[in-house]
Amino acid sequence: MANLRIEHLNKRYGATTVLNDVNLKIEDGEFVVLVGPSGCGKSTLLRMIAGLDGASGGDIHIAGKPVNTLAPAERGIAMVFQSYALYPHMNVRKNMTFGLKFTGVPPAERERRVAEAARMLRLEELLERYPRDLSGGQRQRVAIGRAIVREPAVFLFDEPLSNLDAALRVSTRVEIANLHRLLKSTIVYVTHDQVEAMTLADRIVVMNKGCIEQVGRPLDLYYAPANLFVAGFIGSPAMNFFEAKVGSVEGGCARVAGPGFRSFDLPTASLRVGDTLTVGVRPEHLGRGEDGPFAVEGVVELVERLGESSFAYVRRADDRLFVAEVRGRQTPMPGERATFFAAARDVHVFDAASLRVSTQNDA
Amino acid sequence: MPESVSNITAQMPRAKLAGLLLFFLGPAVAIYSLFSIYPLVATMALSTYTSDPSGGRHFVGLANFQTLLGDALWSKPFWNAFGNNLIFFAVHMCVQNPIGIALAGLLSLPGLRLKGFYRTVMFLPTMLSVVIVGFSWNLILSPLWGVASGALKAVGLGSLFAPWLGLESSALVTLSLISVWQFVGIPMMLIYAALLNIPDELIDAARVDGLGHFRIFFHIKLPLVLPTISLVSVLTFVANFNAFDLIYSVKGALAGPNFATDILGTFFYRTFFGNQLQLGNPTMGSAVATVMFFIILVGLCLYLFLVQRRIRRFAF
Ligand SMILES: Nc1ncnc2c1ncn2[C@@H]1O[C@H](COP(=O)(O)OP(=O)(O)OP(=O)(O)O)[C@@H](O)[C@H]1O
Ligand SMILES: [Mg+2]
Repeated sequence: MANLRIEHLNKRYGATTVLNDVNLKIEDGEFVVLVGPSGCGKSTLLRMIAGLDGASGGDIHIAGKPVNTLAPAERGIAMVFQSYALYPHMNVRKNMTFGLKFTGVPPAERERRVAEAARMLRLEELLERYPRDLSGGQRQRVAIGRAIVREPAVFLFDEPLSNLDAALRVSTRVEIANLHRLLKSTIVYVTHDQVEAMTLADRIVVMNKGCIEQVGRPLDLYYAPANLFVAGFIGSPAMNFFEAKVGSVEGGCARVAGPGFRSFDLPTASLRVGDTLTVGVRPEHLGRGEDGPFAVEGVVELVERLGESSFAYVRRADDRLFVAEVRGRQTPMPGERATFFAAARDVHVFDAASLRVSTQNDA
Repeated sequence: MPESVSNITAQMPRAKLAGLLLFFLGPAVAIYSLFSIYPLVATMALSTYTSDPSGGRHFVGLANFQTLLGDALWSKPFWNAFGNNLIFFAVHMCVQNPIGIALAGLLSLPGLRLKGFYRTVMFLPTMLSVVIVGFSWNLILSPLWGVASGALKAVGLGSLFAPWLGLESSALVTLSLISVWQFVGIPMMLIYAALLNIPDELIDAARVDGLGHFRIFFHIKLPLVLPTISLVSVLTFVANFNAFDLIYSVKGALAGPNFATDILGTFFYRTFFGNQLQLGNPTMGSAVATVMFFIILVGLCLYLFLVQRRIRRFAF
């Protein structure tokens, strides 16, 4: 168990910059999930922490020790790969003990660790089998077992569940969460899946184009995204965005106005008249109930019914679509004209530089 | 659900089915029979005949084989050729294939530059004609105008030089090594292709487990390409016991000095077509060819039963 510190980390392949000045501090025992669109450099960052790829600049510290020049096996990490990467010519037991042989762990100790990991992961029956005779979920558990027996300071997972079917993914997710509770080790986990990120993470790191956009607890990211990218990336369906301008400023309040929605007052001191803004509201926060400061009106084009709720695709007066999640008897019919409201705390405002405009609502 | 093939064929009229089979299988069967099965059967048949000076042929059963293996006049050169052939094969197995594996391992190292260049250079001799290879090496190693002795002298090892191709003791091994030099590209390429099939994540996993390149090669890569290595061994075996051209182009059909480089291929050639004072004897030649066929057959069967069945292919 150890903390992990990444400072000014860069990675370039020729002229392309894959990671650009990444800074990240991960506390001892923390479960950190990296999310971001495909190609944003999540795997690259993970592989650099593992020592599989070298850095073009910057430092990585594990347990306070700089590890830049250390080989993967000397860094006190273990990695679980997306394809499991089990050795096909070794049985499960051998797969787990193989690495220990080369790091000087005595045979009795190896057996003890394998037995313990097998018990934890319910692999006892499978120890003599070969990877080809295992199901996908079992292989995944063996891969995790191989990581556990190394007793690493930091676990690295690269999309470990993406090859499993939906049901297995949920149960393995729970297992990983349990494992973290048991082992209390530091974990860095890469995923595409927002639900995985939200459920597993102590903190989520949102990456985009080789940069970290925001680091925060799952609900912080959801309720207070730091910028437009995070706002659009976290949450499904994605947040609705409305173009807006500051109409007037008086008494610590800015009047925000734009095509398609009702103007409202924003309690903030940082805006000037004429500033360009983007207003964001999540579909699940748009309701037809009580009046709110934010209101948007349009004609319902399409309703997707999911059962407990429905998604209404609504066309505004300025001919743009937005989505609202509606429940029960509020569900409108296609062709109907409807008004949707949102509470002040659910309205996110971003300035011209895409950064969140902090308001008194945030408190 | 689509109908199964056996259902469809069962419902077909017999004539139509026969026509269909003939259409799809006929050409392959015809060509294979004409160019592979017929010559083999004809050769075996011929080996049971003998010809008298007037040109007539008489059926003699297995008498030719008795002569070949029992009559010292025939059996001595036959066993000599067979023994030389074994040495020829052993040199390939012990030199060509390990070098091929090692080269493939080096080529597959991550971050090696000029990969394509090395690959081409090492494969180049394989694409040369055997006649050219034989001729060049003859020139290189010639004690009169060869560059070998000069090259050795230049590095102070002139005393090591010997007319290797001309000495009974070293001619066969020298020829084997020339053949190794020419064909080392084939095991290299086959094993290199197999190594490329190993997923990168597996190698990464081994690195995380603390293995260096050398150990990764021996503990991970090598076991995973074992099926290809065994395939290469079989190809080597078949090619070596059918070899002829290199010996013929360097040493001629007499495979000198004093038959020191005589292998089954050259022995067969002299028997069948004749050479200098020896008259060609097609029926005895056929017997030699048949024995060669059975040697290779037995070798392959041993391989299939003893090795192939224990080797597992790995899916990644
Ligand atoms: N060897 C390389 N040479 C050049 N570019 C590379 C190399 N390896 C990766 N990249 C680039 O680095 C970027 C980040 O890749 P990376 O694999 O880290 O993405 P990722 O965030 O893990 O994406 P995904 O979610 O699809 O796995 C990609 O744009 C990729 O094209
Ligand atoms: Mg990736």
